[in-house]
Amino acid sequence: MVHYKLIYFNLRGRGELARLILHHQEVAFEDFRFEREEWTKYKTGTPFGQVPVLEVDGKPLAQSNAIARYLARQHGLAGQNEWEQSQADMYVDCIYDLISGTRPIIHESDKEKQKEILQKFLKETVNPHLEKLEQQLIKNGTGFLVGKSITWADLAYYSFFSPMTERFGDSVMDNSPHLKKLVEHVANIPQIKKYVETRPKTTL
Amino acid sequence: MLIETFYRQIGSEIVTNKSFKFSMAVYKLHYFDNPRRGHAELSRLILSQAGVPFEDVRFPHSEWPNMKPTTPFGQVPILEVNGQMLAQSNAIARYLARQHGLAGKDDWEQAQTDMYIENINDLLNAVAVPFVEKDPAKQKEMYGKFMTETIAFHVVAVEKQLKKNNTGYLVGDRLTAADLAYYALFSDFIEVKFGGAFLKDAPLLKSLLVRVRTSPNVKKWIDFRNSKYYPDGNE
Repeated sequence: MVHYKLIYFNLRGRGELARLILHHQEVAFEDFRFEREEWTKYKTGTPFGQVPVLEVDGKPLAQSNAIARYLARQHGLAGQNEWEQSQADMYVDCIYDLISGTRPIIHESDKEKQKEILQKFLKETVNPHLEKLEQQLIKNGTGFLVGKSITWADLAYYSFFSPMTERFGDSVMDNSPHLKKLVEHVANIPQIKKYVETRPKTTL
Repeated sequence: MLIETFYRQIGSEIVTNKSFKFSMAVYKLHYFDNPRRGHAELSRLILSQAGVPFEDVRFPHSEWPNMKPTTPFGQVPILEVNGQMLAQSNAIARYLARQHGLAGKDDWEQAQTDMYIENINDLLNAVAVPFVEKDPAKQKEMYGKFMTETIAFHVVAVEKQLKKNNTGYLVGDRLTAADLAYYALFSDFIEVKFGGAFLKDAPLLKSLLVRVRTSPNVKKWIDFRNSKYYPDGNE
């Protein structure tokens, strides 16, 4: 049996999607977490000075999406055929862009300015995306983003939008009933629910 | 296979000869006419390297308001495949690489290829910040920092990986989309803009970039696109 070691900060952040995939598929793994202060200790051991890193029987793989995609493919959450796989990729890439968009907000120390950047981000980036996303969900017609069953794309949207509503309130998905339903569905999946209840509580 | 060879022959004909009307092209890649490379170039390189015909649609920005609502997420590039649409430059590149044997020979190599493409994506996002900076002094400072910190660090890291892999290529023992992605950023953008000094301590990366640039199908594409789209010189 292959041994997975996922190395990341003790945060959700860019490591959480891989964790969700593994928990959803009930695949055992070493969920190695370290605190921010220990970063310099681990940084030099990574291929590109970044985490997450996934060690597969000791062989390292970097880049959060490459890791998540590999795990999704190995464990049946990537889509039923190559076209579906690329659709799932597309959605996860959208989430990657949204995550990147939150960085200036997270790093802004001035509370007033932070609020301003956040509002701009919601108005100019998140909301237009959600409008399109609702159309895609309606078009697919199954409740899931891709095909007829859950893929890592759905977990990626849950992974981003669940903390968003935690932090900024339910109104984030006010105009996105289909996404809201999808996020709730994922939240209530037994394996996900159990993991979320027992995982370390972290700010990000 | 004879048929494959025939199609590949036709494929490179289509890419280099715009007057060759042949509606066999399964792919339609949509992007702005400016930037001329931008987020579409990796896919163009992949298709060209694989000898696969494609319709390279470049539209003026004035057409964008009409086109935008027809796209899945209000963005380009878009790949149209038999009437269906795929968005997100990397999802497109990855799909094309997989379909045409440029994504590594097994799941692990595919993951490695993905990793390198995503490295480039991060670097592109990082350089986009100074790229759009309007204040020239600030822009110069930001570019300087990008080169001396971000790029310098990454070059050391990737040189180490190339040494470890020991084949001259980033993944496995042959050219993949990973090598094309590194070419697209490091040669096609960074070297052009900042010169090649940043490669002085990275002989493996340097020779990889040359290897990609001189690879027959890639060279054919670059010569074609340069003569067609950069009559005023490479930019």
